[in-house]
This record gives sequence, C-alpha cells and structure tokens, in this order.
Amino acid sequence: MSQAETLDGRYRSHVTDLASALDGNDEAAFRAAFERLRAQLNVEMNPELKRITSDALSALRRFREQARLEVLADQEVPDARRRLAHVVKLTEEAAHRTLDLVDQSTPLVDRMALEAAQLLEEWGLHGSRQLAVSSMWPERANESLERAVRDAEHVRRYLSQMLLAQGYQDLSGQIIQAVIRLVMELEAVLGKLVSLANGEETRRMPVLKLDATQPMPMEEGSRGSGPQVPGVGNSQIVSDQDDIDALIASVANQ
Amino acid sequence: MKFLVVDDFSTMRRIVKGLLNELGYTDITEADDGNTALPLLKNGSFEFLITDWNMPGMPGLDLLKAVRADAKLAKLPVLMLTAEAKREQIIEAAQAGVSGYVIKPFTAATLKEKIDKILASKAAA
Repeated sequence: MSQAETLDGRYRSHVTDLASALDGNDEAAFRAAFERLRAQLNVEMNPELKRITSDALSALRRFREQARLEVLADQEVPDARRRLAHVVKLTEEAAHRTLDLVDQSTPLVDRMALEAAQLLEEWGLHGSRQLAVSSMWPERANESLERAVRDAEHVRRYLSQMLLAQGYQDLSGQIIQAVIRLVMELEAVLGKLVSLANGEETRRMPVLKLDATQPMPMEEGSRGSGPQVPGVGNSQIVSDQDDIDALIASVANQ
Repeated sequence: MKFLVVDDFSTMRRIVKGLLNELGYTDITEADDGNTALPLLKNGSFEFLITDWNMPGMPGLDLLKAVRADAKLAKLPVLMLTAEAKREQIIEAAQAGVSGYVIKPFTAATLKEKIDKILASKAAA
C-alpha cells in the first residue's frame, strides 16, 4: 500500500496543520487547514456519491423504459379513464333511448286497450252475438277485441319492467365511476414517478374535468361506496327487504 | 301529493318518476344531489322525498340529516332508494331518521309497498 493510500499518508499532514494552528491560536491558519481537509474528503467522497447517483438514475431510467412509464402516464392510463367515462355516457344514452321508447309506447298501448274495451262494451249493448249469428259481425272479432284488451295489459306490464330494468345504467355507472376514481389516482402516481425518473421538479399533472360522465370526488364518510360487487369488500350486507325493514324498525324503537 | 326525487343519475330519476306515474302520482320534481334538493325543499311544499345516497355534492345521508334538522321539514317522509347495502349504513340512515330504505335494484311492488307504508304511518301519527 503506497503512502497516498494509507490513512496516515492521507490525513496526518492535515491533522498536524490543524494542531499547529490550534497551538498557535491562529484562526486563519486553522480555517485554511480545515478547508484543505474538507477538500481532501470531497475528493474521496465524490466518486462514490457520483457512482451511487448514477446507479440510481440508471435504475430509474431502466424502470421508466421497461415499465413504459411515460406512455402509460401520458396516454394509456388517461385513455383508459376516458374510455370508461365514455362507456358510462353510452349506457346512459342507451338507457334514455329505451326510456323514450317506453314513454312513447305506453300511451299507444293504453289507447289500444281503451278503444278495444269501449268497442266491446258498445257491441255488447247492441247484441253482438245476434249480429254474429246473422253473419253481420264475425264472432272472432269479439274474441280478437277481448284478446287485445288482455294483451295490452301484458304489454303494459312488460313496459313497466323495461323501465325498471334500465336501472342497470345507474348501478353499472356507479361501479365504473369507482374504477375511474382508482384510475385517476394511478394516473397521478404515474405522473409523479415519471417526474422522478426524469429528474423534473414539476410536471404537468392530468387535467381532470368533473362533468356528468366523470366520477365524483373521493369518497368521504357519508358519501357511500356504491353497489356491492360479488367478491369485493367484506362488509356485512343486508339485501333482503324484510331484513332491512326489521333493521330500520329495531333502530327506530331504541 | 308533491314528490321530490333526488338522484345523480338522470336515468334513475326517470325510472322512479315513471313508476310514481304508474302509481298515480304525477306532481314530481327532480334534483341531482342534496345541494340542489335542499333549497327546493325549503322553498316548496313537498310532501314526500325519495333520495339516493351516493351522490356528488351533498350525499343523501347529509340531505336526510339536513331535513331532520330543519323545523319546517323535520316531519317530511324520506325514502332512501340506494345501492348502499351495508348493515352499518342502513343503521346510520335509521339513526338519522329515514322513513324507509329500499336497495337498488328494486321492484315496482317494493316501491309501492314502502310508499304506502310510510304514508299510512304518517296518517296514523
């Protein structure tokens, strides 16, 4: 080991200079000796620091490239959020279209049933059976009108069920909005990771405009958590209406 | 009878409105969250409130609490129509003074039964 590599060789002269300055109460000499020692320490520490910094930056760069961080943060995750929001919009439009058709069909069915019932009543009064016997009014016309009244009632019930079935848009929309909230969080985290990997202090964060197709702000205590999804969450669920009524009544009676 | 239906999903508001129409109730106003509903309630003469829970702005539970805290509205029948099905949530709504609680998806018969029951108990009170 050469003298330059030994502890003694590297530091003894600095320590001697410091001790001499102290002995002579020479502050300027002490400071000068201290600066030389600090410079020596920097020379020794810098290569190690540079190596660690370089390794860390290389690791971040590799991570950024391998994980496609920038593409994910700038394009694919925001696109995923927009796609989900578009699904909510499409299902909303489809549900409204169905509700429009239900609204338009209901009065037609009601009128058909009403007119058929009125005709049956009138012909009943005028003795349609006798008309049928004299071949002036076919018997099957009466049967057809009676069937029209019954069928209209069925169609009315089906329309009511179609109306209720559009509730899927509310439930699926709430579930999708919960996923959109998660994607928004992921987007923000990815943005920060990219900033870190690029050594940027600030980075343009996603512009999130809240509108009808966007999710609500993060959940708060009283905000609720949306529809139950099989296999998600472990809360105790009450879905039977009688159980719900009993629970409400038990609290009310306390 | 004057109804106020509060839900952030316009489809659900239309569904509830359609079902109420089938039950013979035609005086129905809509609001999309508690913040828009509360001024309507305070300035109107609504006799029945049907509200969702999970909404942006003011959620249904906060709207219920605001209604019960308002001297003029305190006795208003409030039916919560929501997808929130956790036991603790139902208890929370009951403690806040909800008149009835129906979980989505629901049937027309359940909605009718709850409205009838709430109105009957109000009449008996």
